[in-house]
Amino acid sequence: MLAYTIKRLLGLIPTLLAASLVVFFFIHLIPGDPAAILLGDAATPQDVAELTREMGLDRPVYIQYGLWLWNVLHGDLGQSIFFQEPVLSVIGDGAETSILLAIMTMVWIVLLGIPIGVLSATKHGHWIDQVTSSGAMLAASIPTFWLGLYLILIFSVGLGWLPSSGFPSLFDVGGATNLRYLILPSLTLAAPNAALIIRLVRASMLDVQREDYVRTARAKGLHPVKVATKHVFRNALITVAAAFGFTFAALISEAVVTETVFSLPGIGRMVVQSILRRDYPIIQGVILVIVLVYVSINLLVDLAYAWLDPRVSLK
Amino acid sequence: MTVIFQLISGRKLATLGLFWLLLILACAVFAPLIAPFDPLEIDPVSRLSEPGGSYLFGTDHFGRDTLSRCIYGARMALIIGLGSVTISLVFGGLIGMISAYFTRVGMVLMRVVDVAMAFPALLMALVLMTLFERSVFNTILVIGIVYTTTTARILYGMVLKLKSEVFIDAARCSGAGHTSILFRHILPNLISPLLVQASFIFAFAQLQAAALDFLGLGLPPEIPSWGNMLSESRIYVTRAPWLLIYPGILIILSVFSMNLVGDAARDSIDPRFKDDIAGV
Repeated sequence: MLAYTIKRLLGLIPTLLAASLVVFFFIHLIPGDPAAILLGDAATPQDVAELTREMGLDRPVYIQYGLWLWNVLHGDLGQSIFFQEPVLSVIGDGAETSILLAIMTMVWIVLLGIPIGVLSATKHGHWIDQVTSSGAMLAASIPTFWLGLYLILIFSVGLGWLPSSGFPSLFDVGGATNLRYLILPSLTLAAPNAALIIRLVRASMLDVQREDYVRTARAKGLHPVKVATKHVFRNALITVAAAFGFTFAALISEAVVTETVFSLPGIGRMVVQSILRRDYPIIQGVILVIVLVYVSINLLVDLAYAWLDPRVSLK
Repeated sequence: MTVIFQLISGRKLATLGLFWLLLILACAVFAPLIAPFDPLEIDPVSRLSEPGGSYLFGTDHFGRDTLSRCIYGARMALIIGLGSVTISLVFGGLIGMISAYFTRVGMVLMRVVDVAMAFPALLMALVLMTLFERSVFNTILVIGIVYTTTTARILYGMVLKLKSEVFIDAARCSGAGHTSILFRHILPNLISPLLVQASFIFAFAQLQAAALDFLGLGLPPEIPSWGNMLSESRIYVTRAPWLLIYPGILIILSVFSMNLVGDAARDSIDPRFKDDIAGV
């Protein structure tokens, strides 16, 4: 297991280096002088010349990349054009909202996805199975922003139960009760992903049910509930664990839309606003951070997978 | 067409889905004949009128007819779907096939695919859109590029398996060249899985395009697409809820239908999935 972990960690380095190259060259793909782009419209020619020298833009491109990577490794992702603040601190401001949103969404996905998937599999072929399976597919077909707008219409505008936008920090007035601002956004974000988990739990439970050891368990007279929980569910969970990585990836992407619908001060909405404002240093920084988070989560999931199913690390 | 009907035979929901898709296709092709109004025609007097009368689906904030815009939206949905499916299948297909067939090239190409896959789909689309102008072509290109990587990965696995089959050895022994083996012996075996993949990309492309439109980074705002209609109607949602209902339902039903058809087709190709949604 340790050897496998080290192997996977080392395998991460080339991917991250390549990704950093892509992010670095992103700013060079935009038509125009990178220094002028980074400084925005208000910059004077002197500013541009100074930044050109500072960033080493007059030097060969591999040296520029080296300098940039050196800065990134020291936590310096540059300066936001719009906020006039270091990119890392701007990203930090949005982190609380986005992390809490992701956690709440994952909670919904587990609470909704796993029980409904198990129910669907145990009632295989029954009308309950048909309704939940096609219901899950329907849920995965709804644009997230459309669902979000309808939840706002029903629960905020219509019933007045929950707030429709914004998110005051947990450290502000209200404390933990501020989490109610995240109920509708997290449900919106959870719906299509829970739908995928439902389908996956169901499919892998049905797969496992056909295994010999399940037949053996039944044959030796084990209670059906015990067979379902101890033998089928536990083994089906291995496949599902792997899917959480994909789900998290989907979450990062879709959070961009959800945070915009609910005007949440998170990283996702910041990306969209920065794109519209052409605040390239922020875009660059956020992509880098998201890729890092995404790749690390996938690594953790793979390690968990290897731990749950020792056959994986032996390959 | 008959192939698709055979694939999904016996599945009621999937058949309904196919009929819905045919209806959308008809709307897209015959839009100028079916639409009661010009989708861009502005009628300030009857702005935000409720559904009924001469405006069956009501009008938007410029007094444009929602029904006509929905019908023309089908055209946009079809163009975006077909365009991004073509790009991702052609490029993803080629990358996947070549990588699996020529292992040395594959080592490099598949690493590139791995790096591209380190970027979540919508984020990658957003970033690419910052480099391009908002246009129909660029939206299609961006969505196509995003799904090229997944297609390449899937085909890579399939070709790797196919490559070691006896009939490929036989072809090689009878003197077939690389191009001939790749396109005349391997490719025909990939047609059905490619069709299934195409149906899922088509469905995802609709959702991605709608999301890009909603964020103001997709199609130019004057183009009547379902996503743009939803994006514009957001501010009028309490005054004119119909503006949100019709395009939304069109997107959902089309994506749902495409998923149902794709699922049914996959099940009949690969019996392993037979149990997935039994009889639905």
